[in-house]
Amino acid sequence: MNLRFIDWIWHVRDSLALAPGQSSDDAFDRLDPLFRQTGTSYQRTHDTLIFSKKNQAAQDKMSVFDAGSLQIEKSVSGPVLRYQLTSKALLFCFLASPLFLGIAHFTVFVSHFEKPTPAEEKKPADMPMNPIDKALGAPEPDKSKKEDADDKKLSPTAAYIFSGIFAILYVVGRILEDRLIKARFKKCLLSAE
Amino acid sequence: MNGIRVGKRLIGTQAPVTVGWENIPKVSGGPIKLFVFTWFQPAMLFAMIAFWYYAPNSIAKASTAVGIGIGFKVLLLGLEWVNPRYASWRLTWKELVTDLFYVGLGFTLLRMVSHYIGSDVMAKAIEHHFHQDDLRWFTGLPLLVQALLIALIFDFGQYWMHRGMHNWYPLWLPHSVHHYITQLNINKGAVGNPVELFLIGLGIGGFFDFLPRAVLISGAFGLAIGTYQHINVRFNSPRWWRFLFNTTEHHSLHHSQDFESTRSNFAGSFIFIDRIFGTCIDGEAELLGMEGGRRMSIREQMTHPFTHGWKALKERFDRPMAVSAE
Repeated sequence: MNLRFIDWIWHVRDSLALAPGQSSDDAFDRLDPLFRQTGTSYQRTHDTLIFSKKNQAAQDKMSVFDAGSLQIEKSVSGPVLRYQLTSKALLFCFLASPLFLGIAHFTVFVSHFEKPTPAEEKKPADMPMNPIDKALGAPEPDKSKKEDADDKKLSPTAAYIFSGIFAILYVVGRILEDRLIKARFKKCLLSAE
Repeated sequence: MNGIRVGKRLIGTQAPVTVGWENIPKVSGGPIKLFVFTWFQPAMLFAMIAFWYYAPNSIAKASTAVGIGIGFKVLLLGLEWVNPRYASWRLTWKELVTDLFYVGLGFTLLRMVSHYIGSDVMAKAIEHHFHQDDLRWFTGLPLLVQALLIALIFDFGQYWMHRGMHNWYPLWLPHSVHHYITQLNINKGAVGNPVELFLIGLGIGGFFDFLPRAVLISGAFGLAIGTYQHINVRFNSPRWWRFLFNTTEHHSLHHSQDFESTRSNFAGSFIFIDRIFGTCIDGEAELLGMEGGRRMSIREQMTHPFTHGWKALKERFDRPMAVSAE
């Protein structure tokens, strides 16, 4: 199977025009602090930088990415930084949605085996009410036991909601992280020394 | 690092920590900001207690509590953006996804497990064991006293369970995963190995199901106090609040990269339990986690207690048996 059709799910590819005349060395020097992080290893050749991260801290500005390569190419309009980055977090978020959908279906499946609880005719509990509570105006204790059964039943609703949350989070993350990293690279590359 | 002497203990020899309220930064800004971030915590606590005390029976139920819990956490997420304690704890998309994954597990799979073998089953067993009349002395107490007692009994159990997790290796294994978090955010309390989350859920709260309103009020203590353990918000908590209740300052120290600091502040809501047993340290830390702040992947969080437990067992039984000199 050709992964190129689906790898956009966890890959971020883009390019960024460098300042006219900016050399590869200068560009990579400016990006260097982003890769000097705990858990990050990288190799630099003249026009390419390849990095990988393991157990990167939450505080790492590139913590969402686990590996990638950055290449500086010469084009007619000037030097261009092309990069492709991979993110396990994006893939995980993408898969979390069907995972919770599966949990919802599993909950429905399991609840079929639940024995229907016979409507217990519980004697209304004789709940005394303290005179202080009466004086302060608290409501009388509820003597019906109606809601108990519904509250204790297994329900797939939460799993469906989380499946939706992760689908939305994926779309947000795929767009947001793409833009954030581009802005971060741009800021590093164009910042005055 | 020299560390700071607190009683018989030397705190902060392995990582920087701040000890003493006078050394902790205050909220800065205009009078409205100062007012909000000083009185927000007490106001929310009293508002929640009043709500559950007076709410009509038709809305005083568990589903309303779940809704309020979610709404309150969304509000606190907003406060994290407005007034963060540390910029380095700023919530990122990746951290949010990780945290919500664990919140999701708590609402789905863990709830299912509790339904069959956890606190639900224990609560039912207790209810069947006791006759309503046996507990009349308790049910006749004023509602707020009932609620406070439930919250205190629950937190006392949590204190010893938590302290046990830091002192007994089989319990430390599942709990250690939670200590690999490197920042505090509103949902970080849910991050941990599912075995630990199941164990911590085995509270005694469910035992009081026959007192629905008292349980809901006691839940308000947990929500309006315990939630601040994991939060990236700078508050000027009133002096009486931080003397009685656990705060993010206390809990950040508990999560510090400094080993000795982690052996303090075990209570969930009522820090005075720690004061009674001599484990309370007033202070805070920014650098959190284990192994110098190594962040654990979700995969490792799931397997860590088992792989490390297995390694420990192997080491123990592979050791050559001591031969007697006789």
